[in-house]
This record gives sequence, structure tokens and C-alpha cells, in this order.
Amino acid sequence: MQQYESTVLSNRELCQSLYELKFRMDQTAEKPLPGQFFTVRVTDSSLPLLRRPFAFAGFDAATSRARCIYQVRGGATRLLSAMRPNTPLDIIGPLGRPFSLPQPHESPVLIAGGIGLGPILFLADLLRSRECEARLVFGGRSKGFVPASLFENRDTVVCTDDGSCGFQGTVVDYLATIGSSLTDTTLFYCCGPQPMLRACHEFASRRHLRCFVSIEQVMACGVGACMGCAVRVNDGRGFVRACKEGPVFDSGEIAWD
Amino acid sequence: MGLIDMSVRIGEVTFPNPVGVASGTFGYGSEYDELLNLADLGALYTKAITLEPRAGNDTPRIVETPCGLLNSIGLANVGVERFLAEKVPQLERFGCPVVANVAGSTEEEYCQVVRRLEEAPVIAGYEVNVSCPNVKHGGMAFGTDPLQIERLTAALRALTRRPLIVKLTPNVTDITVIARAACAGGADALSLINTCVGMVIDTRKKRPVFAMKSGGLSGPAIRPIGVALTYRVCRAVSVPVIGMGGIMCADDALQYLLAGAGAVQIGTANFVDPRTAGAVISGIRQYCDAEGLSSVGALRSLLAD
Repeated sequence: MQQYESTVLSNRELCQSLYELKFRMDQTAEKPLPGQFFTVRVTDSSLPLLRRPFAFAGFDAATSRARCIYQVRGGATRLLSAMRPNTPLDIIGPLGRPFSLPQPHESPVLIAGGIGLGPILFLADLLRSRECEARLVFGGRSKGFVPASLFENRDTVVCTDDGSCGFQGTVVDYLATIGSSLTDTTLFYCCGPQPMLRACHEFASRRHLRCFVSIEQVMACGVGACMGCAVRVNDGRGFVRACKEGPVFDSGEIAWD
Repeated sequence: MGLIDMSVRIGEVTFPNPVGVASGTFGYGSEYDELLNLADLGALYTKAITLEPRAGNDTPRIVETPCGLLNSIGLANVGVERFLAEKVPQLERFGCPVVANVAGSTEEEYCQVVRRLEEAPVIAGYEVNVSCPNVKHGGMAFGTDPLQIERLTAALRALTRRPLIVKLTPNVTDITVIARAACAGGADALSLINTCVGMVIDTRKKRPVFAMKSGGLSGPAIRPIGVALTYRVCRAVSVPVIGMGGIMCADDALQYLLAGAGAVQIGTANFVDPRTAGAVISGIRQYCDAEGLSSVGALRSLLAD
């Protein structure tokens, strides 16, 4: 973890509500891994006040370029979306616990919903570089919400709620259709809205398959100090911190109710 | 720049400079160890320590408000035994004065925590948390009752020679009554303000965002409240006052010091930029230099009537 000044390299709209930000990392900074995140200050003023956390969506070690995929939801992300190339960025990262990688005998299935695509794409790229083929399943509301350019040259199943692109239904509806092809070495990696994560967890646990989820949680400090991003877990710990013990969890650890 | 005495004396302890990091915003220090040189801090106020570990409140626990942060953490902490076993050895490495923030549900719990902490030489002093708005028992209930606060302070006074700093809540009719009660109990200093009670309602769900309904507001939104209450308390008591509430930069800290505070704490700003305390320290030094002051303590008498 380091704090450093970075600069915006590019910032573009991918599809309705999804943006991609590329920025230069400090060359001495620790290399991020899929599942890890950074925090960024989007203004020097106090409105909005807090830094915002974003998962890394990719990192190129040769050029020290990193990227994230974000959704414009409120004031902070609106300011971020207006940042032009060469804008300075105050970055702290990499933060949090990354995805554990699959064992050679395991078959990973990568599942992303909307804004959850970032860390899943990063994981897909890392697995591909290690010649581990992983199926990618992406779910969005409709065709306009599918960042098609990111799926070129990639084995991707796109699911939309209205069927305007790819499979009609949710990612879990899709998983149900391929249930018979799943083996006991199938392993799920998921990132997306909470209801999707929970549905993926339930789908996996019914089949006694392992499932890793990357949780989204409002954060204040991002470094484990404030206890604000608590996630309730099933064991005696009660709560753990999304920013420190997470954001990636084995889905069985989480108290979903 | 001339030599400026930045030190601050509280009780029998001299702190190297007037800028501390506030309890609850800096964990136990190790969380920020990689990002800044902790030895530069005037003081590190730990996350509140209770006798037993506390899991804290249900989620969500934080919500951002205009220029502010509303929290409902609920004193989540590892408890005094794990603090001694795991956190104290780390704190010994940091090289800055450590003030243990102590909390409890009963007077006896506060006393038991302090008795245990007396065994740790790294603890320079205690900040008595009688102002947390986010717990059902203890916390702010002590801090709004002058009789209870005097009794609790006196009970802790009997247990330690270390500086005893009582942290006050702004959520009272007259903070000077509470301030005098803490001094009557033997407080070496007062720190203020803890968070202001606030509430955010989710209009879609038609219920407060927090399970505890209300929470504690911090950040620049409350700075003018903190400065005004610091000004009042400084004129009501003779012990040093440690001012806090919304300090984001040196100029904000200088407002507190000119109002009469002997020291300040950086809280929510640590989340925004962990380097804030360092910037505030050098900004105060520059201001003193420009004003031709030989010590930071001289700021206290500069305010025009």
C-alpha cells in the first residue's frame, strides 16, 4: 500500500452508465492483483468528502498502467467521469485481499454483474496469461448496459434481463442451464450487486461448489482503521472489514441474511 | 525558519507537537504505518478500548453527508487483553506518544481497563471517552451528567499519575458545566468535540439509514461548532484544551489554537488524506514563524477581543 500522485491517461464511456478510467501507477508501487482495489480523492474540496474505492480492472506491469471500471452513481463518480487526460489523481493502493487463484485441476467460472466487471476482467486476463481458460458470464439490464468492446476476443456469455443481447435472464438463470456441465472441480468467482452474489452463493452451495465473491461496501478509510465497512460473517468474529479481510471472501464465510 | 518550541505539556507528559490523530480514525496506528512516518505525530489516540471485545453496531455504519461523515460504528474494538497482547508491541515501535482512549458501560469497566493499561509503559496517557453517541450504555450517558463525570474522573484519577484527558460531547445544553465537572474530578486536560448527533433517513425505505437510528457527525461540517465550543471551554477552565472537529488543514487547526486550545486532533481528515497531520504540523510552524512566535503556546493569547 502506497499513497502517490498519478495521472489520468484516458477516461471513456463504455456503455450506458459504465466508464473506464486508465491511469499511470507509481513505478515503485506494489503491483495490484485481481480483487484488490484503490481509493482516489475526486476533489480537493470537502464535497464530496471521502475518497472513493474502485477495484482494479487491469494492470500492465510493462507500462505501469492500471485501469478501473466504474458507474456514475452520484456526485463523486460524476466528477471522476469529467476528468480529462493528464488530470492528477491522488491514489492509495493496492488495498484489500485479492482472489485466491484456482488450483490446476479446478475449472473456474467467472461471473460479473454490471459494475462488478472490473475485478472479474482482471482475473480473466491473469488466468489467460497462465493459460487457464475460464468462462466469463456477464449480466446487464439490457443491450445498452453491455460494454461489448471489452468482450472482443473473449469467451463471454452475455445475459440481459430483457433478452436484448445474448441470453435472456440473470446470470444465475444462465448457470442453471449449464448445470449439467458443471463438475465438482468447478469454482465460481463473482462480483456484482449483492442480490446476484447471494444467488451465486446459493447456486454454488447447493452443488457443494466453492464460490468466491468480491463484496462492495461503503468505506471511509479503506485501510482497516475505521471499522465502517463491516461485513457480517458466520464465524465467531462477528464482523470483518471489507477493506482488509475482504473485499474477496469465500461466499460461505458471509452471513447473507 | 527560527527555532519554534512546538511542544505541549499535559499533566506530567511533554508531547513533541500539538497535532494528534483522533481516536476512532486511526485504528491502532498499524493501519497507517505504511503510509506515513508515525514518529512525526504529536500523539496517537487509539481506537476506544473496552474491557471485553466489542463487535460494534449492525451495518450500514457510515454515510456521507454534505462536508461530513455520519458514523454508527459502536466502539467496535479488540478489548483490553488483545490490545495489550497484540497492539501494544506494535505501538512501542512507532516512536510517537500513545494516548489510550478508554470506554466502558459502567464506571467499574473504565477503572478495570485503566488498571490493565497501567501495566503498559508505552501508554503516555488516557483519553476518557464519555461522549460516544453510538452505544446504548455508557458513552454519552456519562458525558452529559456533571455528577457522573466528576465521579468517574475522580475514580480514574485515583488509579493513575498519567495524564487524564476527558473527551467531551457537544450534545449538551452547556458544555462548560460538564468541563468544570471533569476538572473538579481531576482531569489534566479536556478534548472536544466528539461527534454531533445526527440522522439520515432513507426516504425510499422510509426509515433511518442506521439501525441505531442516529449516529455521530464529523468532518468539516462541524468545524464551526468545535471552534465555538473550544472558545467557550477555554474561558471556563484552566486546564489545557485539545480542540478537534473538522480540521482539514493548518488554517483549520490554527482557528482552534487561536480560540485557546493548547493542542488539536485530526480525525475524519485522516480518511481523506492520511498526510493531513504532517501538513498541519508544518503549517502551524510556518504560521508561528511568520508571526515571530517562539512557541506554539503563544498562539493562545493572540486572539483579538
